[in-house]
Amino acid sequence: MRTYVAARLATAVLVVLGVSLVSFLLTFLSGDPAEIMLPPGATAQQIAKFRADWGFDDPLFVQYWRFLRRAVHGDFGNSLRHGQPSLPLIVARLPATLQLTVTAMLLAIVLAVPLGVLAATRRGGPIDLCAMGVALLGQSVPNFWLAIMMILVFAVAWGLLPTSGRGGIAHVVMPAVAIAINLMALLTRLVRTTMIEVLAEDYVRTGRAKGLREVMVTARHALPNALIPLVTVIGLQFGFILGGAVVIETIFTWPGVGLFTIQAILNRDYPVVQASVFVLATAVVLINLTVDLLYVWLDPRIRVG
Amino acid sequence: MMRRVAIAAAVGLTIAWLAAGPAAAAPTGEVKIGLAAEPNTFDPHLTVGRNTQIFIVNVYDGLTARDAEGHLVPALAESWKRLNPTTWQFTLRKGVKFHNGDDFNAECVKFTLDRAINPETKATVSSELGTIASTEVVDPYTVNVVTKAPDFLLPVRLGELYGLMLSPKHTQSVGKEGIATRPNGTGPFKLVAWTKNEQLVLEANESYWRGAPKVKKVTVRPILEDAARIAALQTGEVDLISPIPHVRIAELKRNDKLVIKTIPAPRIFHVTIDVRKPPFDHVKVRQALNHAVDVNAILKSLYFGFGTRLATVVDKGALGYDPGVAPYPYDPKKAKQLLTDAGFPNGFETEFDSFTGSIADHAKPAEAIVGYLQKAGVKAKQNVFEFSAFGPRRVQNKTSPLFIYSIGDAYLEPSWVIRWMTQGGLGMHYKNPKLDEMLTRIEATDDPKKRAPLYTDVQKLLRDEAPFIFLFQADSVFGMSNRIDYTPRPDETQWLYPLGLKG
Repeated sequence: MRTYVAARLATAVLVVLGVSLVSFLLTFLSGDPAEIMLPPGATAQQIAKFRADWGFDDPLFVQYWRFLRRAVHGDFGNSLRHGQPSLPLIVARLPATLQLTVTAMLLAIVLAVPLGVLAATRRGGPIDLCAMGVALLGQSVPNFWLAIMMILVFAVAWGLLPTSGRGGIAHVVMPAVAIAINLMALLTRLVRTTMIEVLAEDYVRTGRAKGLREVMVTARHALPNALIPLVTVIGLQFGFILGGAVVIETIFTWPGVGLFTIQAILNRDYPVVQASVFVLATAVVLINLTVDLLYVWLDPRIRVG
Repeated sequence: MMRRVAIAAAVGLTIAWLAAGPAAAAPTGEVKIGLAAEPNTFDPHLTVGRNTQIFIVNVYDGLTARDAEGHLVPALAESWKRLNPTTWQFTLRKGVKFHNGDDFNAECVKFTLDRAINPETKATVSSELGTIASTEVVDPYTVNVVTKAPDFLLPVRLGELYGLMLSPKHTQSVGKEGIATRPNGTGPFKLVAWTKNEQLVLEANESYWRGAPKVKKVTVRPILEDAARIAALQTGEVDLISPIPHVRIAELKRNDKLVIKTIPAPRIFHVTIDVRKPPFDHVKVRQALNHAVDVNAILKSLYFGFGTRLATVVDKGALGYDPGVAPYPYDPKKAKQLLTDAGFPNGFETEFDSFTGSIADHAKPAEAIVGYLQKAGVKAKQNVFEFSAFGPRRVQNKTSPLFIYSIGDAYLEPSWVIRWMTQGGLGMHYKNPKLDEMLTRIEATDDPKKRAPLYTDVQKLLRDEAPFIFLFQADSVFGMSNRIDYTPRPDETQWLYPLGLKG
């Protein structure tokens, strides 16, 4: 087990490094911070001088090496835009993003599990049809469209929720729903499918045969087994959730890592992009690792070879 | 010159006195503002983007300022004059204090300008202040600023754009990173709290030298998404927002709780023509392009009429704008005729660059323009880039023969715009010794009143030579609740000093 975790952690380092290199190259190949940072009206010569002063005209691998050498000491460099160390800037925004993504995830699970179970136990009935309809809709609705529609309905027309920003619990509702909706749809379908499979298992028949009430059969015997694949999917979906957060945070000006990263990318503020990629990639890798370990713990049948 | 400055000073003092009169009442109430972008820093030398430069002025003052009509007026300098071609002397206002109580004097000016041009500062605004050679303290309230070459724009540069004054003691004690979030200016508001991406809180500086501002507290929230920003105004979460997409103006104007104000923004849209490359070296071809595009129709359909057709690259608010210089009328027949005269009866093929993701929408007008060009027989292929990818293309002079662009005329001074547009770099290659000569004469004329009429010939020459397809300037749009009183300024500065609550 210990060697397994060690090997996975070593791979994680390589993954984070790889992601960092790719994002570094993409940031620079698609544009240059110099012109964005200077006032309008800067001439070609002034832009050239600025690039030289800041080292933007060095070969890319020299710049990457310079960045890497500092990064291993935890120094990602100062944000070009904010003039402050970039890693703390990103870390300071983690709580907001975690609040949003964890809320969205819980929301998705809390809605999807009962809905999926109901659909599976009443297969073909009206509830199943409804649940599948909701799932289909949830998977097909673009989250940015849903976000703006919710603002118009719940904030402008009915005045129930604040339009954007972060504050009390009311602020988190719309952005969390906008992120949760796709995951919720996916999980509902998944729970339904695995529940149907599990309900056909021998031990379920045994349970029924020995006279257990249907609720007990479903809740105690079928559901826990149906939830195992759910754990894997949720772990894998975390990356997508973070991706969704980038869009939704921008629409709601939710002050998290996603919003900050998008702005950094647009401004070619590469120290911040790098710090953010590091933090996000590390988070995704760690969560996937945790999920794999959790899976082993949840399902004793699985042993690492 | 002296007389003009004396008058300006007198007018300035009167304005200050008038402002101090009614505003003598203590500031009250709170106004909440939703903006598309927040400042990147409060360090005036490391500002990035116009959104920062037009906002942080609320905490600072420059040596000069602009009034509601955009005229240059005294601020921390009471008067200024050119001693010789490369030396400007500024006489400073006495009794001005920074927010922390430090005195403002000539040492502060020297410290600030030395810091701005010190290579160690790595100032982003160095391109605009690089003209300064040195600053000399003459006495506690007089400074001489020496420029490397004659610079008639120095008093404008040292105004709200790039001349915001720092307190030496504070700046040294908080350091380079500290000044970004803990500014200490002489301006009408103090920054009391700032959580990036969340909100920024300004509080009235009750001992402001112009008199205290009317509003006690101003909260600024960045709201990036247009729909969310408008929604926040509609629900009353904020009292003032900008920008607003032109397409939403009509609908919002029907809401009697809101007031929508528009003002021509000094952003000059144009299509740069690479005059070095045939057939664009032929003036008739360039004129044909100008006749081929129906700019008024573009303004009507894309900007819902909230814009101004420009005859040249001189914007309506700029010094010397001459409405008598008529724009090219839309005339597809004439365009064809001119192309035939130039030897292209069947038109020609070319490429047209455009981009998305900059401060303003360039892709949509570009699409319309390309459509009109094709109608006239100029088979232009449109390329669309992401803005920060288009930048390097310009820097490396790899742009297509035609590309759309816009320049914000922050100085409201045509010579600044035209010099930039004829620099021989960034894809702009039009050169004309006669034009240079005209501009040089203008730049040697310090008195704006004498300078203004000289621009008429410049505008005529530009129109006839047509080194660009001349387009338009679009309006800036502000939305506000009817409980506040705010008049947007023609130079885009978000100057909150006159902001007030009604009733």
